[in-house]
Amino acid sequence: MTAAKAARQVFGFFGFLGRRTGKTRVFAALGLIPVALAILVRVFLHGRAGLMADVSTEILMVFFLQFYIVILALFYGTSVAAEEVENRTLSYLITRPIPKTSIVLGKFAAYAALMFAMVGLSLGLSYFIINAARLGDPEVYGTFLRYLGVLGLGILAYTAFFTFLGTVLKRAIIVGLVFGFGWENVIQYFPGSTQRFSVVHYLKSLLPYTPGSTPTGRGVALLLFRLEPTSPVVAVLVLAAITGVLLALACVVFRTKEYLPEE
Amino acid sequence: MSAVIAATNLSKWYGNVLGLNDVTLELEEGITGLLGPNGAGKSTFMKLITGQLKPNIGTVTIRGRKVWNDPEIFRGIGFCTEQDVFYEDVTGWEFLKGLLRFYGYTPAEIAERAARALDIVGLTEDKDRLIRGYSRGMRQRIKFAQAVAHDPEILILDEPLSGLDPLGKRKLIRLIRDFKSQGRTVLVSSHVLPEIEALTSRIVLIHQGKILAQGDIPFIRELIEKHPHQISVRSSDPRALAARFVGDTSIQKMTFDPDGRTVVVETHQRDGFFGRLTGVVLEAGIEVDEISSPDDNLQSVFEYLVEK
Repeated sequence: MTAAKAARQVFGFFGFLGRRTGKTRVFAALGLIPVALAILVRVFLHGRAGLMADVSTEILMVFFLQFYIVILALFYGTSVAAEEVENRTLSYLITRPIPKTSIVLGKFAAYAALMFAMVGLSLGLSYFIINAARLGDPEVYGTFLRYLGVLGLGILAYTAFFTFLGTVLKRAIIVGLVFGFGWENVIQYFPGSTQRFSVVHYLKSLLPYTPGSTPTGRGVALLLFRLEPTSPVVAVLVLAAITGVLLALACVVFRTKEYLPEE
Repeated sequence: MSAVIAATNLSKWYGNVLGLNDVTLELEEGITGLLGPNGAGKSTFMKLITGQLKPNIGTVTIRGRKVWNDPEIFRGIGFCTEQDVFYEDVTGWEFLKGLLRFYGYTPAEIAERAARALDIVGLTEDKDRLIRGYSRGMRQRIKFAQAVAHDPEILILDEPLSGLDPLGKRKLIRLIRDFKSQGRTVLVSSHVLPEIEALTSRIVLIHQGKILAQGDIPFIRELIEKHPHQISVRSSDPRALAARFVGDTSIQKMTFDPDGRTVVVETHQRDGFFGRLTGVVLEAGIEVDEISSPDDNLQSVFEYLVEK
């Protein structure tokens, strides 16, 4: 069996398993928070859809960009390798005629797809509830797709990072928490080029607005605070490079490393 | 006959702890029992020959191919882990089908093989229950099923009978024997000697990471000439029988059981004693009810070797 076919089989198996786990139910429930918030906004701001809808959407994006995709990627990414070791189920996978790299790539893809589905559903519901009054405006759909794309790239980059971390470290979650909610949260507000050492900087650079770009108040909220954006093309390339390089490293480590049981 | 599984100067350590020490071993077709107490190195050996661990020193090959990072080799190997671990949120049917996907079968083949494996282990009726709801015996059987579902040539079973009730053990022993009767190779580990004894007479004794002895039971007995055999003879007149053997220099000790009808003889020459016993019984007209060898069991051999 080729590595690509093996990865597809792993994708199928873990896509199925991933949907069954309690972890997925918990994180899917977490995705209801912005939906509930959107309903509240819709109820209380009914008839004042313009500016407030924009601001509310941006608040939602803070949740998605700086919390939801990070926590999802942290738990799913590190679990690509670590859950097999901790749950001792690794022997079921590595005693099969499939390359170890296919296990990493297949699980990564399965979990990324699962996360994307959760994020997409949550974002879609909350976004269109908030912007229900503007559904006739094509820009609403364009902005939604842009948000979805940004979050998708974020899921890939963060998950690749945490997958790599999970293949290398035994306690990857702790290091991942420090990175995801420490480093990423702080470094993005540093002036100059320092903020480019965070993943979120490139994600924010792809948002459908930039600081001071509109007179309506867009770009003045949390998401754009102190952002010195990178050009969208460079941002996409950097995110793709982060994903590719870290996934490749994760594959190399998983293929060569020996995972000893903790006894 | 060429070796199916071969380990050469195999050593493995975990930090400062030695898991396996310079093991050289060749395993042929049929059932081989790997016997040793907990922590002897059985699981380390199993993990090395299934590519889960990388040797620090030495090599391990299956059919001449090095195991580490050679996934194709697992097309012909079935492995049953010692640990009671599963993907708990799936049914037995989904578990088997999921793992069978990794062999490149068509969906129809996957379903057919999964159904056959479930049938072999007698779990067809419970196939749609979540594994987390399975009893210990069912979990052991589904673990066995995933090891044989792809019809492997070599089956490696790490403590497969652990935790099973007597009936469950009998069923699994029958399954393993059936598998062997199809000309396959089985390596089965256990720390319980009667379990191995029920499966095979070809054993490898392992202790503290070293191979103490290997071969069939008579061969191992030859290795331990100093180990006396106990033979228990229940007869109508055990003392008269004992009197006939007092001058026999091959006999080290004779004791009488409290029942007053049994004499227990310790000898280094078991076969010779049985030959002389037949003559004595016929000559003296002593009625013999039962002859048994209490230590004709691997337990005593193992204990002796470990102490040696």
